[in-house]
Amino acid sequence: MNQSSAEQRTSPARAADSMESAARERVIRLAGFDQDGIADGPGLRCVVFVQGCPHHCPGCQNPQTWAWEGGAETTPSELRDRIFSTVLDTGVTFSGGEPFEQADALADLAQMLRPRYDVASYSGYTFEGLLKLSEKRPGVMRLLRSIDILVDGPFVQARADRLLLFRGSGNQRILDVPASLAAGSAVWTKDPAWVGEDGSARVAGAAFE
Amino acid sequence: MVTEILKRDGRLDSYDESKIVRAVERAMRDSGRSDFSSAATLGVKVSDELSAVSKDGRASVDEVQKAVETALVKAGYEDVAKSFRLFRADRTRTREKNSALMHTFDEITTRDARDSDLKRDNANVDGDTAMGTMLQYGATAAKEYNEKFLLRPEQAKAYREGDIHIHDFDFYALTMTCCQIDLIKLFHGGFSTGHGFLREPNDIRSYAALACIAIQSNQNDQHGGQSIAQFDRGLAPGVAKTFAKRYRTDLAEALSLLAPDGAAVPDADRMKAVFATAEARSGEKPLLGGSPAFDAALRADILAAAPELPEAALDKALAYARKTAEKETDEATYQAMEALIHNLNTMHSRAGAQTPFSSINYGTDTSPEGRMVVRNLLLTTEKGLGHGETPIFPIQIFRVKDGVNYNPGDPNYDLFQLSCRVSAKRLFPNFSFVDAPYNIQYYKPGHPETEVSYMGCRTRVLANVHDPDRAISTGRGNLSFTSINLPRLAIEAHGNEAKFFAGLDAMMDLVAQQLMDRFEIQARRKVKNFPFLMGQGVWLDSDKLHWNDEVREVIKHGTLTMGFIGLAETLVALYGHHHGESDEMQQKGLAIIRRMREYCDALSAKTKLNWTLIATPAEGLSGRFIRMDKKRYGIIPGVTDHEYYTNSFHIPVYYKIGAMEKIRKEAPYHALTNAGHITYVELDGDMARNVKAFEAVIRAMHDAGIGYGSVNHPVDRDPVCGYNGVIGEVCPKCGRRESDELIKFERIRRITGYLVGTLDRFNDAKRAEEHDRVKHGLGGSGSAGA
Ligand code: SF4
Repeated sequence: MNQSSAEQRTSPARAADSMESAARERVIRLAGFDQDGIADGPGLRCVVFVQGCPHHCPGCQNPQTWAWEGGAETTPSELRDRIFSTVLDTGVTFSGGEPFEQADALADLAQMLRPRYDVASYSGYTFEGLLKLSEKRPGVMRLLRSIDILVDGPFVQARADRLLLFRGSGNQRILDVPASLAAGSAVWTKDPAWVGEDGSARVAGAAFE
Repeated sequence: MVTEILKRDGRLDSYDESKIVRAVERAMRDSGRSDFSSAATLGVKVSDELSAVSKDGRASVDEVQKAVETALVKAGYEDVAKSFRLFRADRTRTREKNSALMHTFDEITTRDARDSDLKRDNANVDGDTAMGTMLQYGATAAKEYNEKFLLRPEQAKAYREGDIHIHDFDFYALTMTCCQIDLIKLFHGGFSTGHGFLREPNDIRSYAALACIAIQSNQNDQHGGQSIAQFDRGLAPGVAKTFAKRYRTDLAEALSLLAPDGAAVPDADRMKAVFATAEARSGEKPLLGGSPAFDAALRADILAAAPELPEAALDKALAYARKTAEKETDEATYQAMEALIHNLNTMHSRAGAQTPFSSINYGTDTSPEGRMVVRNLLLTTEKGLGHGETPIFPIQIFRVKDGVNYNPGDPNYDLFQLSCRVSAKRLFPNFSFVDAPYNIQYYKPGHPETEVSYMGCRTRVLANVHDPDRAISTGRGNLSFTSINLPRLAIEAHGNEAKFFAGLDAMMDLVAQQLMDRFEIQARRKVKNFPFLMGQGVWLDSDKLHWNDEVREVIKHGTLTMGFIGLAETLVALYGHHHGESDEMQQKGLAIIRRMREYCDALSAKTKLNWTLIATPAEGLSGRFIRMDKKRYGIIPGVTDHEYYTNSFHIPVYYKIGAMEKIRKEAPYHALTNAGHITYVELDGDMARNVKAFEAVIRAMHDAGIGYGSVNHPVDRDPVCGYNGVIGEVCPKCGRRESDELIKFERIRRITGYLVGTLDRFNDAKRAEEHDRVKHGLGGSGSAGA
């Protein structure tokens, strides 16, 4: 019973994603796209908002991205071209919705972008959850291997805190993905651009009196 | 029999037939007649006529006039009747004009600044205070006078009807716009403010205090902003003086502690003389970074004066004294900078109603003293005023220069990075770029006065056709400027490009004449009319003049400037799109602005005066032009359908465009607008959390050839808990909701280059513009709850 309801919550986009033949490009179901973003990671970034999310966290800022339908279809190479045309942006963030529901297509995109851009992804899954998921879905591991930073875990309203850097709630972590994969467990990034000069991943004392 | 006359204001006056006779005589003279004897006859006829109609012996002014006209016509003097009518009409107009002036005074007196656009015209004056109101009476009356007496009819018409805008019109006959103050020159040997003589300052605290006084004093002589061209170099000697003093006293103290018993060492008084000798012998002064000849001389002198003192003890004392003095000097400099910012935000000029518009340029002095000034200025700016509020003044301008502060390894690169961090939190400093081709062209290494300086709002003065050897920033400024309503010329051209350019040329002819007329008025002013600016030699070459001399020759160092507003709406009116929308329109836009620049250059070549083109900062004006044009032409989509015309060559704030694209589109206009320009990039979100993004934008500006630029981003503050950052409805720190309590969040925004604390003092058009701003590139707000 539980299993089947969880199944129902699974993305048709993901199903299409993995069935895609190598000859045809994979499809990304897109909820929105921004350039010159400053709120979803350090530097100026493009933000790819994907459509569809299974988590339904209470207090989610983008509930319009939950539905599996809606949004617009695009391809990794189309998005790549949009990102390349921005000139100023040095990073790309996958957001949503749940990026890992469209892991294969986003992995394709991330591979087109690196190393010119640093690539980060949000996820409502935890790193550990993603590792487990990757046993069934190879695309999840492909995407993990293609990104630099993962901000993981669902939004938990009770732990919401607006003084956090690039995160919504205190349970979320900013992980160095290559290091985490190498260690086999979650490793926080040390990059001060992500976690602040003091490493607290919160707004430093200097930002207010 | 008529005995009394009822005047328009309700008063009664006695009837006087001779007044009627005189009026008729004047009308006869006006129509070229000289048979004045009949005037007397007519006077009698009028009296009779009035007696016949009046029942109570009274006649109204209108009745009298009517009777005179009838009598004239009956006597066959049609032409005289006509000139009598004209004369009366003229009197009526004058009377109406007077009462219009009085109505304006009434608005100034009784209406709250919040409801009156007139009173909020200048966001920096508190229109509700007594002094602010008095200023506005003066400005209103002065404008009336200037229009009636000083403008030619065609100029008055163009100004009144909104073809052009004459900036600072209330000061039309009185003074020039602004000046870049050279502090080093001013402080040398001390100066007088007109209220007393101030001797050359002796430590960093008095240097900073006098810098404020210089700004305040000059603000009373000019109507525009006041700027210090080389703030770091100007105050560096103050740091050196403070250091020398501390070093001396710390050394005396250290010696007295470290010297072995019985060894006589110079005490504090004696040390003064020792320092003076060492300075005289070495020709150097004690400096933060050390000065080899002085340091050697000092060491030798002390050993000579204290033969029993072991060298090791002396070296220990010297090292200790230097380190301690450095630290004390740093603290003193911080306090001086803190005081300076407080001062500039609270002091008043102009009868106490206005905080001086102050700007300071800095960033390229690599001396340890200059660096200490800038670092502490930035740190105190970052900290904010007493309760952490964002300082509104001065406008700070960090001057970026390759090889000096732009790249890792450059001596002041740390200060550039600190500037980015501070601006990401406080909106200042802005950034000016010496490396832009049209700025570097004048740059001579070793001559800081050739580095471009900007007046906070954007004004720039550098080239000098009057005196090409002195293409410098200091001691010069803008004389006056007038802006052209470009969109109206475009609307009137009905899509006909040739017609537009013909109209533009004619308008520039008119403006050139008007600026020349104003120059002539300004040129006749005397040194004594500018006791500080000219009397103290702040303006270039004014030190060569006497108290009663005309300023004509020296003000030729200044600029005569044309400006423009609404290039975007102009392009839409002419071609259907603006320059943000296509490269083709960009070319069209550049063609228009190039035409204006070439016109100015040609005039400069011809007259040997500095004619320049400015990208007008549009406060007040942006709403004035469009209101008039809406009335004239109705709502034209993309042209008159907003509350304001777009600022100069900017891409409209309501048009969504990437940051780089905006920079790339606006940069070529910087090269053309040699009297000043600024580009803003709007970013949404808390910039202080992402300084890397901020720096990326500034670097993009530098590399694209922008001359002067800044990033606009929201800066909010909760006065209750002191949180500074972006605040929505709820304070992120204390969770307070704005609607729950009386105390509102403070929201700092930038308006025409100046910061304004709340939106109250914005005039309506600027408020609408603030509201319409599209943050470049950003729409959504992150996910995973972030
Ligand atoms: S994972 Fe993100 S998008 Fe999905 S519900 Fe949670 S907060 Fe919303």
